[in-house]
Amino acid sequence: MPFLIEHITEVVLSIVVIVLLGTGALVAMALGRRQRRERYFERLDDLRQRFGPIVAALLSRKIEYERGLEALKGITGIDRLYFLEQLLLEKTPTVAQVPVARQLSEDLGLVKVWQSHLSGKFDIASLHDALARPEGILQRVGRLNFILKAKSAENLGVIRHQPSWPLLAKALTDPHPDVQSVAARALAAIGETESFPALLARLHDILIHPSSTLSLRSIKSALVSFPLKEAPRLMLSLQHEHPRVRFMAVDIIREMVEREAALNEDFVLDASIFGPELGEVLLTHCCFDDNGDVRARAAPIISYLSDVRATPVLLTLLDDPQWFVRLHAVRALAKRKFMSQSEQISQRLTDSHWLVREAAAQTLLVFGRTGVGQLATHLLNTQDRYSREQIADEMQRTGLIPTLLTQYATSTDKRETQVLGQLADLGKTSYMLATLISSSDRTLRKKFLTDFGSHPDPKISAWVRKIATLEPDTEIRSLAIKMIGKSMDETEA
Amino acid sequence: MDWRQWFYHIMNMFNVLIVAYFFLANGIYTFLMILSLVSVWLHNRRLTYQGLDELRESVVTPPATIIMPAWNEQEIIVQSVSSILKTDYPNLEVVVVDDGSTDETLVRLVNAFRLVEMDLIYRPRLPTRPVRGFYMNPRIPNLLVISKDNGGKPDALNVGINTCRTPYFCTLDSDCLLERDALLRLMQPIIRSPQNTVASGGIVRILNGCEVKDGQVVKVGLPPGRVERFQVVEYLRSFLFGRTGWNLLGGTLIVSGAFAVFHRETVIDAGGFKHDTVTEDMDLIVQIHHWAIHKRRKIKMNFTSDPVCWTECPASLANLSKQRRRWQMGLFQTLWKYSEMLFNRKYGVIGMLSYPFQLYIEGFGAAVEFLGYFMVPMALMLGIVPPTLFVLFVVLGLAYGSFLSVGAVLLEELTYRRYPSFRDLSTLLGYAVIENIGYRQVVLYYRFQGLVRFLTGFRSWEKVVHVGATE
Repeated sequence: MPFLIEHITEVVLSIVVIVLLGTGALVAMALGRRQRRERYFERLDDLRQRFGPIVAALLSRKIEYERGLEALKGITGIDRLYFLEQLLLEKTPTVAQVPVARQLSEDLGLVKVWQSHLSGKFDIASLHDALARPEGILQRVGRLNFILKAKSAENLGVIRHQPSWPLLAKALTDPHPDVQSVAARALAAIGETESFPALLARLHDILIHPSSTLSLRSIKSALVSFPLKEAPRLMLSLQHEHPRVRFMAVDIIREMVEREAALNEDFVLDASIFGPELGEVLLTHCCFDDNGDVRARAAPIISYLSDVRATPVLLTLLDDPQWFVRLHAVRALAKRKFMSQSEQISQRLTDSHWLVREAAAQTLLVFGRTGVGQLATHLLNTQDRYSREQIADEMQRTGLIPTLLTQYATSTDKRETQVLGQLADLGKTSYMLATLISSSDRTLRKKFLTDFGSHPDPKISAWVRKIATLEPDTEIRSLAIKMIGKSMDETEA
Repeated sequence: MDWRQWFYHIMNMFNVLIVAYFFLANGIYTFLMILSLVSVWLHNRRLTYQGLDELRESVVTPPATIIMPAWNEQEIIVQSVSSILKTDYPNLEVVVVDDGSTDETLVRLVNAFRLVEMDLIYRPRLPTRPVRGFYMNPRIPNLLVISKDNGGKPDALNVGINTCRTPYFCTLDSDCLLERDALLRLMQPIIRSPQNTVASGGIVRILNGCEVKDGQVVKVGLPPGRVERFQVVEYLRSFLFGRTGWNLLGGTLIVSGAFAVFHRETVIDAGGFKHDTVTEDMDLIVQIHHWAIHKRRKIKMNFTSDPVCWTECPASLANLSKQRRRWQMGLFQTLWKYSEMLFNRKYGVIGMLSYPFQLYIEGFGAAVEFLGYFMVPMALMLGIVPPTLFVLFVVLGLAYGSFLSVGAVLLEELTYRRYPSFRDLSTLLGYAVIENIGYRQVVLYYRFQGLVRFLTGFRSWEKVVHVGATE
């Protein structure tokens, strides 16, 4: 049969009708969806209004638990559990609220449902139920179950439900990466000691088989959350044949240690916290490891060890052939207890890698006046331009220039003058001049004009010319004019 | 064959081409829409356990730098920088690069944030135009403003990359406002993915019509102007189902540079932002794909639909024309530059699907469609096409466009529902239906101009003037 133009017209007409009907259906779906969502939010708002204050009072222990529980049991309907979950966990409970939230979740039957979901048991909702309940579709469609599993794992983690840890540990090998990732997070929140080996095993698995569906950061983040007393469990990993395992183990310990150290300024790692063997492995193996990353990450931990060998080991790492090891070693020494090592640290100001030079300058600044003095001495004595530039950089970034100028104005010591002169020679005068312009200190401006008014730096010259024409203070203005003359004489000479 | 027969033959060929283009393009768009419907709905469900709090507090969340290039943005720059300084992200640095502005952009920044000029070290790993000065306030150590000679947006971004110290950086246009947790959300796929994710893009939504307070959108609303409202629908279509669909297929070829995160070392190794195209964001993405294949690196690029960046869209047709011409011209420049990728199996989905789609549907498709508006009526007048079929085809074209636009609005309604009032939703649906009558043709004309400019070697960047969101 020949394909006639009438046939094409019929086909196109059919398509037009289908598309128009489709568009109409989409519009109806959008409007219907909006109405449905509005009903949903109305119900949620109503429940919030009625039960929100009860939940808040229960969590803050302002009403009797049994009374509050009975009131919450008054929530009925096909979507009861869903809305109870919403009300209870809408805001992540604080540490103080967690025990009540956990008890409520257990007594209201939520924990049982979450555990059942996490272990893969779902009540297959009927089609009617699936459409009526907010999460019905997720139960009905097997391939979407992972969302409920992950959500359940999340909830069990939020309420820190310790008895659920075996289920969560099992979920670390769930086929879906979302469930694995949330389970790792939940285990970290619960912090059950027994779950640490399961997480560690998963870490090894990821490192040795990089095709894993779980991200390394997720599992590392979970392990890092455990208390420092778990660190000795990483002993075997520190001595593992695979360099990535050793690196990750030492890095996890480093994170644990630095977290503890951030809470306590005088934090020291002694055998009571750390165990003697772990310190020994760090001092005798990790800092001499073939892998530079392991040596680098060991340095910060060693810096907290209360062992006489710690400082010499760190100083050895300061001379490591790998620049990033030297970088971590310099950063590890940025504690006031290492102030006596400032001489060795200042040697790194002439390091071949700029990040190490920068870290050395920053470390010295942590030592306060002593460090600043060390930096100034180095700035004045070194012939290394890169090193001088790095020091000038740090002095500016940390806002030291105004302090330096204030000291310069009041002190009779030539040292500040020399440092300012060195900065001017390097052309690092913008911050200095900005400080001078905004300063009302007449003595400072006079002194600066006298000492540097004829300096060849173009920014200083421009500033002096501006003073010579616009300054209302006649004495300073004439000083500026005099310095311009001096500068011209020097140029001619 | 005489010339008349030739003419008729060409007309027939063109009509076939138009029909083929119509079915192919709309078929692909429909396929992408269905993919995106599932994907965005699922993603929205997965957000319930995303664990943003944990990400915020985790020590393993990598530090990031927001790089904001600015050129003559005196009206909005202070508001934009204030807004990004409030971004909820641990270890955030902000680098603003003033690309040799001739207005008060730099002065206003210096005054607003009490910055002082510093002579810091500049280590150019990517070649750039000279840097004039660095401005910092030691009390706001995470903000660095750099003034440089004018060299265009790619050059300004490269200066930002050269000074960036964190493993990841986020490019952000100066007319954009970030939602407080947008960067955290954008970094999430990078942190949680077991693969090496080197770029992550978020959704860009239209700021016009929204209520802004303290640099944050506090009430979402539709803009008053028609041109802006059409763009709201367009952006929803482009981001919610265009980019989501391609992301699902593993064929991300465009990540909006207005708001995207990149892995710094990858970008530097790939050569940074280039100056030879006017859409440096698309150019960089294609360049990274190209680099990864040549260096045998396994990389992933991601698009996520929940991190939101609000941007001011052109309110007038004059500004809209500049923007669309540039986009179309940039598309061709980039595709021309990396033409070896076309149907090259080495590049996988990118070479076999994304690139041809961008070239034939988004690129040449605009020309075919534009010319179709002249050729098909001509064919009707010459009696080549029967009037009934002509009318039906026009109706089909318009209806299908509406179908796709309404689909985008539905997608928004099924997931994020950013426009809270029922009236806004109805208005959006109305605009989605009528978008194809008038607005589409105007935009098509600008896109055709973009193609002509590419063919004639026009290169300059047409600046779209921003007036800034009213607080």
